[in-house]
Amino acid sequence: MTSPHVESGPFDPAGVEWKPVSPRLATARLATCAITLGVPAVAGAVAALWSGVAGLWAVPVALAALLVWCVVLVPRQVRAMGYAERADDLLIRKGILFRSMVVVPYGRMQYVDVQAGPLARAYGIAQVQLHTASPGTDAAIDGLPADEATRLRDQLASRGEARLAGL
Amino acid sequence: MTAGPQDPAVARADDAVPHDAVRHDAVPHDAVPHDAVPHDAVRDPTVPDDAVPADAVPADATVVTGEAAAAPPGLVWNRMHPVTPAVKGWKVLVVLVFIAVQQAGDDLLRAREALAGRGWLVVLGVVVAGALLGFGYAALAWRMTRYAVDDDAVYLHSGVLFRQQRKARLDRLQAVDVVQPMLARLLGLAELKLEVAGGPGSAVSLAFLREEQSETLRAELLARAAGLQREEGRAAEPSPEQPVIEVPPGRLVAAMLRSGSMLAFLAGVVVVVVVVVVTREPGAVLFLAPAFLGIVGVLWTQFSRDFNFHAAISADGIRLRHGLLESRSQTVPPGRVQALRVSQGPLWRRRGWWRVDINVAGYGGAQDAAAENVLLPVGDRDAALTAVWLVLPDLGVADPRGVLTAAMEGTGTDGGFTTSARGARWLDPWAWRRTGYRVTDRALLLRTGRWVRRLVVVPHERTQSLGLEQGPLQRRLGLATFVVHTTPGPVSPRVSHLSGAVAGRLMDEQTTRARHARAGAGPELWLRPTTPTAASSSGATSLGGPGGPGGPGGSSGAAGSTTTDPGAAL
Repeated sequence: MTSPHVESGPFDPAGVEWKPVSPRLATARLATCAITLGVPAVAGAVAALWSGVAGLWAVPVALAALLVWCVVLVPRQVRAMGYAERADDLLIRKGILFRSMVVVPYGRMQYVDVQAGPLARAYGIAQVQLHTASPGTDAAIDGLPADEATRLRDQLASRGEARLAGL
Repeated sequence: MTAGPQDPAVARADDAVPHDAVRHDAVPHDAVPHDAVPHDAVRDPTVPDDAVPADAVPADATVVTGEAAAAPPGLVWNRMHPVTPAVKGWKVLVVLVFIAVQQAGDDLLRAREALAGRGWLVVLGVVVAGALLGFGYAALAWRMTRYAVDDDAVYLHSGVLFRQQRKARLDRLQAVDVVQPMLARLLGLAELKLEVAGGPGSAVSLAFLREEQSETLRAELLARAAGLQREEGRAAEPSPEQPVIEVPPGRLVAAMLRSGSMLAFLAGVVVVVVVVVVTREPGAVLFLAPAFLGIVGVLWTQFSRDFNFHAAISADGIRLRHGLLESRSQTVPPGRVQALRVSQGPLWRRRGWWRVDINVAGYGGAQDAAAENVLLPVGDRDAALTAVWLVLPDLGVADPRGVLTAAMEGTGTDGGFTTSARGARWLDPWAWRRTGYRVTDRALLLRTGRWVRRLVVVPHERTQSLGLEQGPLQRRLGLATFVVHTTPGPVSPRVSHLSGAVAGRLMDEQTTRARHARAGAGPELWLRPTTPTAASSSGATSLGGPGGPGGPGGSSGAAGSTTTDPGAAL
């Protein structure tokens, strides 16, 4: 399975070449999962072993199950993300179960954010987020390689300026 | 923009300008160093500003010229009305009284004991101290507040401890309101509020001015925002307006009697009666009293807000006037309404009443959002159609009345609508036939709801971004939801469960349409004095101009107003 979006449909407009985000995002997100779920799971297991109460095993088992779910889901989620720069707008799509696609005209952008947390920086990726005058515009592209994020930011800014429009 | 303080060139040029000859210092140096007025922090130390002697100046005189770095030299600075502190200072006292009542309310007996004897002196002292504090601070704030207007912007300097300079660009102007709270109204004062769509708290508020002054200033600002040539020495006159909608108090009350809040109120009454009868304990009423009072409060707010509602059309745009105690007079220039919703609850259907809400950038962030976003609190179908016409004089169809009527009341393919796909009957069996969209040359119409009927209209050139959503069930049924993102407000346009192919196509076409509409509604239309379009020519018909003058260059709402706060930086 190369991509969960091979079939055409409303989420695959004709003539759009989707760019995937960096697979390192999956690694980064899995690392987050491992820290938030794996560590407590191990701690729970130790506590259960130590105390010898059988009921206590429920906690680490549940956490481990969540962790497995993460491991299965996260890479697919990351593969489902994509963006495309068209002549006049930027397309962003995401989601497997609940899918969404956003079209943001360059002229509508108010500003562009580039963010990278410590973990993302360690993996050399960043998030680019577009803001329009509408709070409903959910246009964040996570997991861009750092140089691609910089390029995209500058590109968006210059295109936005060229197509400046009123509210 | 923020340029001012950060830009030494401006500051220097400023200080070098020799209009110091008539410079007056607003603030006595000993009280507050007057050039705290901002650029101080970055000012060129070689300019001996303080060498200029401070004169005392009559309070309402035109005060400082070319003083602030943020503003270009030669501006005429004005103060608010000198009675302002008296109006604003009451707040502290009100809070004190509120606290006192709350405390005393807990134990009336002890409160009475405390008041006997010397207690009165303490109370009196606290009240006097509170009054001094409130009015003293308000007076100081008043001294520190100045505003100026030039062809491009409104400048407002304020703040006692933390100084703030604000510049609101007139080409980003989204709406101008004249607000008169009760007390100000009695004194003939008014607050002028400029919305520039810079997010919450970005409005520039000039409080308080004399009533006539605020009217004149509003007319002037709107004329300048429209790009009209200013004739020197002649004040802009308020443009003539033509009343189009009026809501008589009787209808407002009748409509409220059929509203959801009223149903809640009645349900509350029933609950109270039942509880009292069943428990035979009249004390139960006390427990339910707060909720009850809450509902009464909501109803009262609604009534006093929409009381005496008038809508009119003028060259400056839509004029709305309403309010019982606090009166509010709004002006929304043409093309500033981002989206509009016509709705009808089930209890209004028999009467054929409708309500119209609008999204205007800048409105809706504050606590008085509910007061600002109403275009028609209640009215019959004709009034609702008129309201739509106010916003979109040209709907882009041959038979706007027929289409809108079908959009408001029809189902299925009435009026050329495309509805949800058949598969939607599993997800929305009740309203799927009504849910639908229709595209016209000028706007997108979204029709939803069978129980509460809703029609959302989004002009193509006001589209921010578009979205497509699909959940797992929708996917199985081959459906998708189409969303239009608009500025914050009561209207959120979306149409659910279209067939996937239709939704995809709609998204595609709508992207193109919005782009063309935006290109047609260029900023020049509104700003150029050489093309006296909608803004300048009078009469409602002019609003039908091509493209409806857009928010000129208002691309970056955040840049609409600029706030600098050198005090905070320290």
